[in-house]
Amino acid sequence: MNQWKLKEIVLMSILGVVFGFIYLGFFGVGKILTSIMAPLGLGDLGYEVIYGIWFIVSVIAAYIIRKPGAALMAEMIAALVEVLAGSTTGPSLLISGFIQGLGAELAFALTRWKDYRLRILIFSGVGAALLSFPYHFFTQGYDALEPWVVTLMFSARVISAILITGLLGKFISDQLAKTGALQGYALGKEMKQKKRDDHVA
Amino acid sequence: MVSSINPSVKMIAIVIPGLILSLAFDVMTPLIFFLYLLMVTVFFSGVNLKKWLMFFIPLSVFALMLAWTSMIHTDEKYAGGDILVDFWWIEITTGSLQVGISLALRSMCFIALTLLFALTTDPTKLMLSMMQQLKLPPKLTYGILAGYRFLPLFKHELDLLRQAHQIRGVSRTKGIKGRIQRFKRYLIPLLANAIRKSERVANAMESKGFTGSRERTHYHDIQVQKRDWMFLASMVSALVLAFYLSYTFGYLNIFGKTF
Amino acid sequence: MSHSPLLQLEHFTFSFEEDEKPVINDLSFQINEGESVLLMGASGSGKSTLALCLNGLYPEAVEGISSGDLYFRGININEFKKGELNQQIGIVFQDPESQFCMIKVEDELAFTLENLSIPRKEMVEKIDHVLDLIGMKPYKQSKIHELSGGQKQKIALAAVLLMEPKLLILDEPTANLDPVSSLEFIELIGELQAKSSMSIVVIEHQADDWVTLIDRVLVLDQEGQLTLDGNPSDVFQTHAEQFKQEGLFLPQDFSGHQSPKQQPSPIASTHPCMTINHLSFTRKNKTILDELTFKIYPGKLMAIVGQNGAGKSTLLQLMARLLKPKHGSITFEGLPLHEWNEPKLRQRTGFVFQNPEHQFITDTVYDEIAFGLRLNNESEEKVKTVVQQLLNTFHLSEQQWRNPFSLSGGQKRRLSVATMLDETPDLLLFDEPTFGQDAYTTQELMNMIMNLKQKGTAIVFVTHDINLVDQYADRVMVLNEGKIAHDGIPERLWQDEDLLKEARLRKPYRLERNEVESIGLIH
Repeated sequence: MNQWKLKEIVLMSILGVVFGFIYLGFFGVGKILTSIMAPLGLGDLGYEVIYGIWFIVSVIAAYIIRKPGAALMAEMIAALVEVLAGSTTGPSLLISGFIQGLGAELAFALTRWKDYRLRILIFSGVGAALLSFPYHFFTQGYDALEPWVVTLMFSARVISAILITGLLGKFISDQLAKTGALQGYALGKEMKQKKRDDHVA
Repeated sequence: MVSSINPSVKMIAIVIPGLILSLAFDVMTPLIFFLYLLMVTVFFSGVNLKKWLMFFIPLSVFALMLAWTSMIHTDEKYAGGDILVDFWWIEITTGSLQVGISLALRSMCFIALTLLFALTTDPTKLMLSMMQQLKLPPKLTYGILAGYRFLPLFKHELDLLRQAHQIRGVSRTKGIKGRIQRFKRYLIPLLANAIRKSERVANAMESKGFTGSRERTHYHDIQVQKRDWMFLASMVSALVLAFYLSYTFGYLNIFGKTF
Repeated sequence: MSHSPLLQLEHFTFSFEEDEKPVINDLSFQINEGESVLLMGASGSGKSTLALCLNGLYPEAVEGISSGDLYFRGININEFKKGELNQQIGIVFQDPESQFCMIKVEDELAFTLENLSIPRKEMVEKIDHVLDLIGMKPYKQSKIHELSGGQKQKIALAAVLLMEPKLLILDEPTANLDPVSSLEFIELIGELQAKSSMSIVVIEHQADDWVTLIDRVLVLDQEGQLTLDGNPSDVFQTHAEQFKQEGLFLPQDFSGHQSPKQQPSPIASTHPCMTINHLSFTRKNKTILDELTFKIYPGKLMAIVGQNGAGKSTLLQLMARLLKPKHGSITFEGLPLHEWNEPKLRQRTGFVFQNPEHQFITDTVYDEIAFGLRLNNESEEKVKTVVQQLLNTFHLSEQQWRNPFSLSGGQKRRLSVATMLDETPDLLLFDEPTFGQDAYTTQELMNMIMNLKQKGTAIVFVTHDINLVDQYADRVMVLNEGKIAHDGIPERLWQDEDLLKEARLRKPYRLERNEVESIGLIH
């Protein structure tokens, strides 16, 4: 924690707070999708197609701050905010926050927190999907579902992680960097450096 | 009163049943524990019941919807028993009905647990307790508190953004691309502003001599007392009792295995 | 007053990047114990950066490269342990929203004491004492976000005073406050100054209210170099010309009284562009606006003033149809406001928000201005001509491909107005557009507004800045507790002492100075 600057921690925390509420909002989106699919008996799938949103703060925080633990901690802060604001999934959300964050952190850890190209961001999202699914299988009682439904749900979650967590996560961070607000953080500095290199070239 | 329980202990006391309860697939276990939670909420939480219901009812309706999926797509392991409904593709057996109700009750336990925590816990005290009891680094503790403080500001900002967009004539765009655009138009200004403010807050905190060192005194000295352990013990005992009763009555079902 | 140096700079230079020009350039000066210094300089002259450097927040928080030396009481600041120097030098920052990390007042004050490792037993007494000192004792248990801006700044000051600093730096502490709160804050500093021996450095671009409190003025130029250093009369009188060249505004005490620049509008229409009739608005059963009736005329500038919570912004939002009235009616150009078709209404009216960023919705300056035109399905050719024209008028041509958020404060403000002008609107509403802006940006904005007024646009302007009202408004409306307390020319308002007091308004500087003794507002 000592290599972290205070402003990076506050930024991570603010991201956690904002996305904690976005996560709660997407429960509503999930609900709408669920109620559309529920008559078919595929209610759970309504969630899975947008599941990637619930990993997104990991990728954004890690991509902007680029320090070990950013993905994990940002996700846990978001989960804490969700619990404090009252959420359906219950206190176990803290644990799922931990597991999702851990999954997202994995991709960065494997590259020793040095590589932040799009493919790694996507891996990070997929990591969160891979680690979180067995956990939800356990807590949400997916064991009671027919195997094909479970497989369908799993595939939907992975695809959603690629599209929403990886691609949308990078898009949002890059847009944010363009506003100039990230000048004091790793992503902002990289952009500035790139611009300068382009200029020289 | 639950509100005076040490926040860290309370969190642990609520996470444990949240996990263990996931083992049970019968109706009895979550039902007994849910009744226990109701009792604690009504008699010991000091929470306004009307407020509690306002949160509980909509969340439960949603839980029922998810249980419905499990009921009509029940795995063979659970789908035994007589057929109750057979209509088009929908087939409900006594087994699947049971699993559906069990999952719904489980969700209602989770909701009651969350509310018991969220409605009785002061966020500041929770963070301070996590620093003092769970040894969270001060830098992280106060960093999170500083971020949390922005909440009322975000709400105000969102109202202003909505108005400003109306003035600019941004119509309510449709389609997935339009929705992402709209999401972006709210999110980027909100975050850009928040990030600049977060830098200033960090400066202000450090200018007041904050270094993140653990050597600091505490204005709120948050302690763990006997009653905190008693609360934890009572939650765990109630959980054990629920499993035990369910077992004695011959209902207990853990991952499809009956005992 | 002792004259031993408290803080000493020797050829101190600071830049954010190695290859960029320094923000602070070869500064050498010293601040003595007990001295009160006013540090001035136009936007971008590195004043705030200097404050962070003096406080030793460099290099932890402010990343950059520095050379030269800084001494505190003769000791190089690099020799202080982390956090140690911060406790000797306290800063109150400009933005009241971003100086706190706790929810409640007492917890925030305790945060400072905890940092100093003060034993818990002594905290209560210290907190009570400092709250007493700033006159905020009843607010000990209050939530900070529910306080007014002025109260927040006082709490920020209290948190710093708890460290018992040797030097107090005030970085534009009143820039975001309404005039009366601002004056109260400055008076409070005056009282503290009389009671203690700490040195004070005030960073400001509006010197008027501070002049009586300070011994010395330092002026930084655009290059971040020190160009003037002397006592107030020396800087403001002897070197007045040089001072003005830095784009700074002389205190009115020294500049002579400016008379209001009334520009008679060419269009003296008696036909109102908006008519408001018995307008009422309630929120959560609380009356915000109560039976307002007035008319707005083309080519006139009307200012709306009043204290926080008087309903000024609500009124503006009603006039822009962002809110629906509870009772009464609003007619715009002969048609009831609620009957206007949305795109048409947005074309013929404009609304400029306090924070320009809220209005930005695209990725480049060019697209931002083109947005409205494209929305109206104008040909790409016409879009191009109109946009180029606006870019020229608002001096934004060079920035046309930049991201709107990355512009400077003044550029953002100009762009936010430009986006409203793809067609000259009949009615333009402004919600405190000069709040927290520096003097130069304010001047620039007012010039644009006067131009529009000349073209016949009706301007309605919510503001806290009484001097602006005095200089530019044809008419001023005072809202007090949801009712119109005054509606007429500014000159008449300045004579109504009772109303000014009731609505927490000040007089413009040009009048106030004449009566300093008789009112006793300033020591």
